[in-house]
Amino acid sequence: MKIKVTSIYVNDQEKALRFYTEVLGFVKKADFTQGPYRWLTVASPEEPDGTELQLAPNDNPAARSYQQAMFEQGQPAAMFYVDDVQREHDRTKPLGAEFTMPPTKVTGSTIAMLNDTCGNLIQIVALDRRMRT
Amino acid sequence: MSSREEYAPGAAFGAEVRKEGNKWTLVLVRELGHPATKVWQALTDPAQLREWAPFDADRNLGTTGPVTLSTVGAPAQHVSETSVKRAEAPRLLEFSWGEFDIRWELEPLANGTRLTLWTNIGRRFVSMGAAGWHICFDVLDRFLAGDPIGRIVGGAAMKFGGWQRLNAEYAKQFGIEATNPHPTT
Repeated sequence: MKIKVTSIYVNDQEKALRFYTEVLGFVKKADFTQGPYRWLTVASPEEPDGTELQLAPNDNPAARSYQQAMFEQGQPAAMFYVDDVQREHDRTKPLGAEFTMPPTKVTGSTIAMLNDTCGNLIQIVALDRRMRT
Repeated sequence: MSSREEYAPGAAFGAEVRKEGNKWTLVLVRELGHPATKVWQALTDPAQLREWAPFDADRNLGTTGPVTLSTVGAPAQHVSETSVKRAEAPRLLEFSWGEFDIRWELEPLANGTRLTLWTNIGRRFVSMGAAGWHICFDVLDRFLAGDPIGRIVGGAAMKFGGWQRLNAEYAKQFGIEATNPHPTT
């Protein structure tokens, strides 16, 4: 048993694809349709055969309610690990990333939160032991 | 007697893309050696749709009004609350599948029926759609001939030997670049 795919609801798959590839820097992995259904995933260029993130349409009421409630409570819909939060912040901000929490030192790690423009907050995390000094 | 294992799709044919601004419509034509009334049944009866179509319907599509369509063979089931807009047996059937329009026309021939499908589709997926419907039509043809091989749709169709070739052939015919559903594999 492996964790191969995890999903995030997005309110616009095309816009999400742009954000997750052009701003965050993931690469498109799978993309096909069947009628109104579009299966779209991205992966990290550091792990092209690693876990895929499905950019799933929030086109049912349960998905929209869940996504909206998480957003309003300031809860991240996903967390991505990076080597250096400040460096990712400085790299993605000029590309249009809107940070709702600047790089912040917390116990054992540094975190920041940004808006994915598709209805979600994304947290980026660098563990202290992983940080390059 | 043919079987699912022996089935291999032929060359790409009978498809064109009509471009009106951003809206691309895929038009597919297939001649079937069966009367229009019989083809109409296969297009509308849920039990017959299960033999070849990439979706399931919760009722017969032969009358206008609301209908629920569900994708089959996709990585996750997608359910669309949609509607049949026109049903003029055995000549014309129009319904929506989510935000897409499906229109079937059946034209009687001396020894069968010319079936034409119009469907709007995202431009990135137009050759994939043509390849998928090509295989569906082959399966429909065998089903109508009394030799059903079971529908080949969604992921099962893409894993099928001839699918990649059809995708590439249709892309070439349409003058577009073939896109791969799994570009990194």
